[in-house]
Amino acid sequence: MRGIYHQLKNIRRDKMCILSFLLPVIVGLAINLLSDVSFSTLGETAFGIVQNDLTEEMADWVEQNGSVTVYEDMEGLQMAVIDPATQMIGVVRDSGTIKSILSGDEFQLYKTIGDKLPQLFEEREAMRLVAVEARPAQSDSLWPKSLLIVITMVTAMFMGCTFNAMSIIGEKEDGISFINEILPMTQQEYVFQKISLGLVGGILSTIATAFACMKIEIEQLFPLLLLIVLSAFISALIGMYIGRFSSGLMAGIVYIKMIMILFIAPPILFYLMIPADSIGRILSYLLPSSAAFYGLMDLVNGRGQNISSYFAVLLIHCVVWMLFYFITSSGSKNSTE
Amino acid sequence: MGYSFFSLLKKDFTMMLSSKFLLLIVGSLILYSLYINLVYVRTDQAIYPVYLLDPAESIENISGQIIRVDNMEELQSHTSDGYAVGIDATGAAPKIIMTASGLDSTDHTRTAYALSLLSPGQSTPAEVIGQNSKEMKSRREITSEFLFFELAAVGFLGLASTLFEEKYMGVIRIHGVMPISKSLFIFSKLILFLLADLVFAFLLTVINLGLEAGFSVLPAILVQTVILSIIMALVGFFCAVWLPDFKQFSLLYIVFAIFITTPVFLVGQTSITWNWINYHPMYHLFMAIKNACFEMPVGEPVYYIICVVSIVVLFLVAHKTLTREMAKEG
Repeated sequence: MRGIYHQLKNIRRDKMCILSFLLPVIVGLAINLLSDVSFSTLGETAFGIVQNDLTEEMADWVEQNGSVTVYEDMEGLQMAVIDPATQMIGVVRDSGTIKSILSGDEFQLYKTIGDKLPQLFEEREAMRLVAVEARPAQSDSLWPKSLLIVITMVTAMFMGCTFNAMSIIGEKEDGISFINEILPMTQQEYVFQKISLGLVGGILSTIATAFACMKIEIEQLFPLLLLIVLSAFISALIGMYIGRFSSGLMAGIVYIKMIMILFIAPPILFYLMIPADSIGRILSYLLPSSAAFYGLMDLVNGRGQNISSYFAVLLIHCVVWMLFYFITSSGSKNSTE
Repeated sequence: MGYSFFSLLKKDFTMMLSSKFLLLIVGSLILYSLYINLVYVRTDQAIYPVYLLDPAESIENISGQIIRVDNMEELQSHTSDGYAVGIDATGAAPKIIMTASGLDSTDHTRTAYALSLLSPGQSTPAEVIGQNSKEMKSRREITSEFLFFELAAVGFLGLASTLFEEKYMGVIRIHGVMPISKSLFIFSKLILFLLADLVFAFLLTVINLGLEAGFSVLPAILVQTVILSIIMALVGFFCAVWLPDFKQFSLLYIVFAIFITTPVFLVGQTSITWNWINYHPMYHLFMAIKNACFEMPVGEPVYYIICVVSIVVLFLVAHKTLTREMAKEG
C-alpha cells in the first residue's frame, strides 16, 4: 500500500495528467448537449430540391423517403449535390414527373436510389396497396451518437494505457528503473503498483464519462462496471508492455500512436461491416478492444444478451496477457543476471 | 550569422534522425497508403438486397436483382438485419416482409424499391453532374483527412520531442548564454519540420491520388501544408517550452488527436452540420486542405490574412516563452 501512496504522490502535482483524465468526461457532457436531430438525419437518404420547383404532391412524396433540404436556386442545389461530404440526391421536376441529379461519386445504394427514383415515384400508387409486415427495429436511428459515446469511453480507458507507458518510460529516462531493480520489491509488487494507478485513473474517468452521457438503468450498472474494470485493466497492462519495449520517449509515442489507432479504429470497422454472428466477428475478438467496444455498444443501445461472452473474452485476454508479461519478464531478468 | 544558422540546422537534423522521427513518418506513410488502397477505396454501401418467396413462380418479368428463396424460414432469416427486404408472393397479392430500420423514411424507400423490382418498369437514369468517380472521391477524401491528421499531429509532436530532448540535455540553458538569436533557434526547427511535412504531403498525395491527379492538386496542397505545418510546429514549440515534461505533453497530444480533430472530421466529412464549428480554427484549416484535394477554390483572402496574423502571433508567443524559460534556467 505504501508503494501506491508514493506513486500517487508522484502524480499529485501533475495537473495536466489529472486534466487529461477529466477531458473524456467533459467530452461526454458535450455529446449530451448535441442535438439528436443532426444525428438521426445521418442515416436517412438526403434529398435536395429547389424552391417552388416540385408540385406539392412530389415534394410530399420525396419527404416520405428521406430528409429534404430546400435550395433557393438550381446552382445552390448543384453545389450541394457535388459537395463530397454528402451523398445528396437532387430532385427536380421534369414535365409531369421527377428527375434526379447525382454527382457520380455516391455509394451504390444512393446511386441506385437516384437512378430508380422517377420509377418509384410513378409507381407510388402500388405502394399504398401493398401489405407491409415489419418487425420492430433492432438498432435505433441514433447509432452515430452511440458510436461517439463509445469512442469517448474507449478513449477514456486508453488514458490508463498512455499514463502507464509514459510513467515507465519516464522512469527509464530518469534512471529510476535501475534503482527499482535493487529495491527490496518483487516484480509482482512493481507491476501491481504501476498498473493500479493507470487502472484507477482509467476506470474513474470511464465511469464518470458513462454517467455523463449514458442513460444507465439499475440492472445495467453491474455489467457496465465489470466491463469497464476488465477493459481498463487490459489497457493499463498494454501500457506496461509499451513501457517495457520502448527505448525512448519518441519510440513510446510511436507505439502509443499505433496502438491507439489499432485499439479504436478496427472495432468500429468490424462493428459496422461484419455481421454479428459471422466467423469474422469471432476472429475480431483476438483484439482485446473489440469485446469492450461491442459490449459498450450493446449496453448503450440497451441490449444485454451477449454480455457474458464479452466478459469471458475480456477475462481471457486479462489472464493471458498478464501471464505472458510475467513469463517474459522473468525470462529477460534471468538473461541479464 | 549564416554559419551559425547552418550549424543549428545541422544539429536539429541530427536530432531528428536520432529520435527516429523520420522512421515515424515513413511508417505512417506506409500504414496510411496500405489502408487507403486495400480498405478505404473498396468500401461501399450496397443497395438493399431483395429476397422473393414465390415457389409457384407466379410473378413474371422480375428483375435480375431479386434473389429467390425456397421457404418462409429462409425469407425470415435473410430479412432479419433491418436492411434486406423480403417479398412473400405466396398469397393473392405480394406482401413485404422486413425488419424495420428505425427510420420510417428509409423503410418507405426499401418497400418502394423492392416493389419496383417486381415490374419491368423503366426509369430515366439520373443526370450526373460531378467530376469524380466514387473511387477518386474516396481517394481525395481520405488523403485530405490523413494529411491533415498527420500534419497536425506530427508537426506538433516531432518538434516537441526534439525540444524536450534538448531541454533534458540542458541545450536551452546553453543557448541562453550563446550569441545566437532566439529567432534563429526557432527558425531552424521550423524549417526542418516544414521540409519533412512537405515531403510527406508530396508522397502521400502522389501515392494515393496517382501521378496525374496528384500533380494537378499538388501546388494547392503544398501551400496549405506550409500554413498548417508552421502553425502546428509553433504551437508544438510553445507547448514543449511551456510544459515541464514529455509525459504531460504526450497526454495533451492524445487528447488533441482525438477530441479536437473528431468534430472537425464529423462536420467536414459527413452531412452533420453544427454552426458552432465555424468558431473551431482547425475546421477552417481542414477545409482548406480538403478543398485543395478536391481542386475546389481554397479560402478567401481573409482566410490567408488570419493565417499569417496567427503565425506571427504564435511566433511572438513562442519567442517570448523561450526567453522566459531561458531566464528561468539562468
